[in-house]
Amino acid sequence: MRYGKTLRMAAAVLLASLGTQAMADVSCGLNNGQAATGAPIIVGGIYGDAAPGDWSSSTDSAAAYFRCVNANGGINGRPIDYRVENDQWNPEAAAQAAALLVNDTPTVAMVGNGSFIEMAVNANTYEQAGIMVMASACAISECFETPNIVSTNQGPLPSNLGAAQYAQEELGAQHIACIGLNIPDNGVWSCQAVQDFMRSRGGDATAVLINPGAPDVNSALLEAMASGADTILINQPAGIALAILSAAEEQDLRDQYDWIAPTPLYDLSVPAAVGEYWWGHIYVNAELAPLQVNGPDAQNWAAVLDQYGRADDPRDTFGQAGYLSARFFVQAMLQMDPAQLDDRAAVGAAIRGISGYTSDLMCGPYYVGDADFHMPNHAGYMVKIVEGGFEIVRDCYEYDSPYFAPHIALETALGLR
Amino acid sequence: MKRLFHVTPSGWAGFALAAFAIVVLPGLSSSYWLSVFTSAGCFLLAISGVAFLYARLGMVSLTQVGLMGVGGWVALRLNHAFDFPFEVNLALAALSTMVFGWVLALPALRMRGLYLALVTLMAAGGLEILFATFQFPNGGEGFWGVKTGSSDPFRRPFLAQSAEDYLRYVLICAVLGFLFIELHRRLQPGRAWALIRRSEAAAMAAGVNVTLYKTWAFGITGLLGGAAGALLAGSLGLLDDGTFRASESVMIFALAVVGGARSWQGALIAAILYKVLPALLNIWGVYADLSFVIFGAGLLHAVITAPDGLAGQALGGLKALLRGKDRRDA
Amino acid sequence: MALARYKNWLLWAVLMAVVIGWFGWGGRPQMVGLFVASGLAVGSLYALGGIGIVVLYRATGVLNFAGGAAGAAGAMTAWQLSEWGLWDPIGWLACLAVALAITLVYGRLIAPRLAWRETVVKAVATLGFALIVLGLVSFLWIDDPRAITLPTDGIGVRILGMRITATRLIVFAASILIVFGIWLFLARTRVGLQMRALANDRDLAALMGIPILRVETIAWGISGVLAGFTGLMFADLIRLEPTVITFMVIPSIAAAICGRLENLTVVLLGGLSMGVIENMLTLSPVLRGVRPIAPFVIAALVLLYYQRGQRLTFGGRD
Repeated sequence: MRYGKTLRMAAAVLLASLGTQAMADVSCGLNNGQAATGAPIIVGGIYGDAAPGDWSSSTDSAAAYFRCVNANGGINGRPIDYRVENDQWNPEAAAQAAALLVNDTPTVAMVGNGSFIEMAVNANTYEQAGIMVMASACAISECFETPNIVSTNQGPLPSNLGAAQYAQEELGAQHIACIGLNIPDNGVWSCQAVQDFMRSRGGDATAVLINPGAPDVNSALLEAMASGADTILINQPAGIALAILSAAEEQDLRDQYDWIAPTPLYDLSVPAAVGEYWWGHIYVNAELAPLQVNGPDAQNWAAVLDQYGRADDPRDTFGQAGYLSARFFVQAMLQMDPAQLDDRAAVGAAIRGISGYTSDLMCGPYYVGDADFHMPNHAGYMVKIVEGGFEIVRDCYEYDSPYFAPHIALETALGLR
Repeated sequence: MKRLFHVTPSGWAGFALAAFAIVVLPGLSSSYWLSVFTSAGCFLLAISGVAFLYARLGMVSLTQVGLMGVGGWVALRLNHAFDFPFEVNLALAALSTMVFGWVLALPALRMRGLYLALVTLMAAGGLEILFATFQFPNGGEGFWGVKTGSSDPFRRPFLAQSAEDYLRYVLICAVLGFLFIELHRRLQPGRAWALIRRSEAAAMAAGVNVTLYKTWAFGITGLLGGAAGALLAGSLGLLDDGTFRASESVMIFALAVVGGARSWQGALIAAILYKVLPALLNIWGVYADLSFVIFGAGLLHAVITAPDGLAGQALGGLKALLRGKDRRDA
Repeated sequence: MALARYKNWLLWAVLMAVVIGWFGWGGRPQMVGLFVASGLAVGSLYALGGIGIVVLYRATGVLNFAGGAAGAAGAMTAWQLSEWGLWDPIGWLACLAVALAITLVYGRLIAPRLAWRETVVKAVATLGFALIVLGLVSFLWIDDPRAITLPTDGIGVRILGMRITATRLIVFAASILIVFGIWLFLARTRVGLQMRALANDRDLAALMGIPILRVETIAWGISGVLAGFTGLMFADLIRLEPTVITFMVIPSIAAAICGRLENLTVVLLGGLSMGVIENMLTLSPVLRGVRPIAPFVIAALVLLYYQRGQRLTFGGRD
């Protein structure tokens, strides 16, 4: 989530100082420094930017990466024409965006999608049109349980499971109150998984579902307290999560509960936004490698954004996920027969054939496969909010839940285990 | 009898425009514009309901989009629970929304205009909460019919499976809606409404059952709103609670006034402003927020200077032009 | 006659007590106390918004949908000024000033042209103005999560087991003081008398020599300042988001309806009751999910109750 120009500038400076070779080497596509000049390959993307939040960082990073690729030889000499549409958090606008990009334009694939709603509205459209979507900032179940959408981010279900698992194993959690949105394919879906997980480990969990439009989060907090929980899992986008934390701070509840959260609170501006009261007390699950790991891909992402991105493109994990989707897409395209690059079905088959792509940003290998479900990213890190940033408290760990059984079976079949 | 089927010049213009839209427009539109026009057509039906209620009876309903949501909910639930054809779902959705509208409005119909508006506003707020809490059916079990995971398919009308045909179907429904209202106006209810508008005391003195006719009118509004909601469900295949907020109900009432509540041209302008203008702004890359400013300014202008809205001004200008021409020719 | 007025207040108090007893029965007193206190906090926000609406309606006959939008614009201005590094109190004053200016623009330039129209039409026109203001505010400040903090957020006291910050106490106290102050103003001052005359019959008041424009300007001015204060409180206690603050006008109207758009004390009691009832419903496993609907249901029931037995025989003016 975006938090204001000054904080983003600070984040950019921080990243620039982390990646000492930032201005020097970027590695994109063919890496031959020649501008691509052939017939453009058209790729689409849909993001959501309207109240209550701005989810454009994934498409921004993907766009920067594609610009870098176009300056470095393109896809065998052909540039990528990346067209994005805003669904404005409105299902009709999302349907119109898909109509425009999928039915009216000869796009070969969709890359970098980041939205709360468009996957639900458009999953059938994608399936009927036979187009593959390599999404990056997904928050709903359709993203992970339909045949044509695969995401580099984890989404709420694994991220919440990871947080709950850490709390149960390290913090001694017995009863977790999962404060989620009452959207069936988001809050209900992920909190249900947490309930199943805790019960399988001898504990319990209660789902406290709130209406995203409800102005007052206080009663949700009270409901969580009334459930008898010892741990509170804030399964919310950053804006609402901050409102809950400030309501909890008002009641001085910090030491009465353990506080855990999935990925949306892993954002560079959050430690300053929560304030000194909360430093050292909130544990957050990170879907991708935290910044301090600073592997080659993380540095490349920062460098690509510096050279080919815009100054106000957000530098957050959804941006990293967008960069990854774009990178894996280009990697798959470069391995294709150049004559088939304009054929949506051939590109789709190539995407489905992706298996075993790795990155230091992801804990496990990325793969797609020919299945009705796709969740390649289901292992992550656990970090703690401290002054000035985040401290890693657990390195890459796989989330342990029966939900992943079919995914593990698929990985075994693809030879990734 | 002749008067019943007499078509005014405005009526001929409407038929001509409808013919053009139904026959030619779907072929000319890209997939994006098909989606936009279908949506505009559904809201056109709903707006006609709200506009007629305000123009003919002076009653303000600030919950029409909420009623669309009710119609859409019923259509979705029936579609996923049973195997009826689309037309049956459409009819049942419209009828149940009509009854729902009555339940809301009947106690309030005796109130002064402002209080009816406020009751409908409270209803809109309440419906927004209900939709957000219980969501729309997507094929799940139980009364509410909601499941996690992707939605089950929605069966479109037998004659209108493709996007082009569905646009035609929606436009035909909108035309039928207008004709339905016009039929009422030309028969007894229309005369009763005119008398009630002029003076309820006179209507009562003349033996008109005021409550009955006001209820009838509100029922028509609910009927058209419910049908519009069912058509919208068919267009997208699923519905989301974000479409049916209280602010949207208030917005389409405002636009109905801006466009001109008295005429079909006004309802058409309102539907175009509500759906087509933002889509155009999106294509041109202009901020969607500015459409709020345009709507608001239009509303103020309409309320202050043009009680018959933009359509009224345009028609008035046209008449003046023609009158001036006749005078010169004479 | 005095008894009849107090009967209304008693009705609300009894309703609150019944609901608290019903849902709180068998629960831990401390937990129940927490819900009641939280409910009073939310309810006082509804009441504050409702009071602003009723004050203006009583003076000018205009149901102002744009109060929320003016407050939102003021709150965003205050946020922007503190982002630019100015001293916080300047931002708060700017909030009040911006809301006042926006409300006066409408009150002086647009409202007089509609003075002879029906109440509903006047309300619809304020709606148009609200859309304009909301559109401009959304355009000037792109969607980003923002927050406003006031120094009183850090200080708090414990009441009924719940920690109430000074900000919430200020809202509660302010709503009571404003009700009392407006009552004094209308009942005891000359301008207040003129305002009541104006509300009663505008044409007659003009004929009697009451300076219409001056009195109306004062009414709009008071309403503008209230809108600014309310907007700032909403921004601090709920969320600093223009759309959210603008459409808080709908629950505020619900509170205003409880007072039949005229009785400020009942607006206050009604708003508080709405907040308490909404929160107490959390303890009911069946109604827990739909509890935000409580203000609307209460308002609708109040409307129907007060309009029972009305036969509209001379409809036309309204």
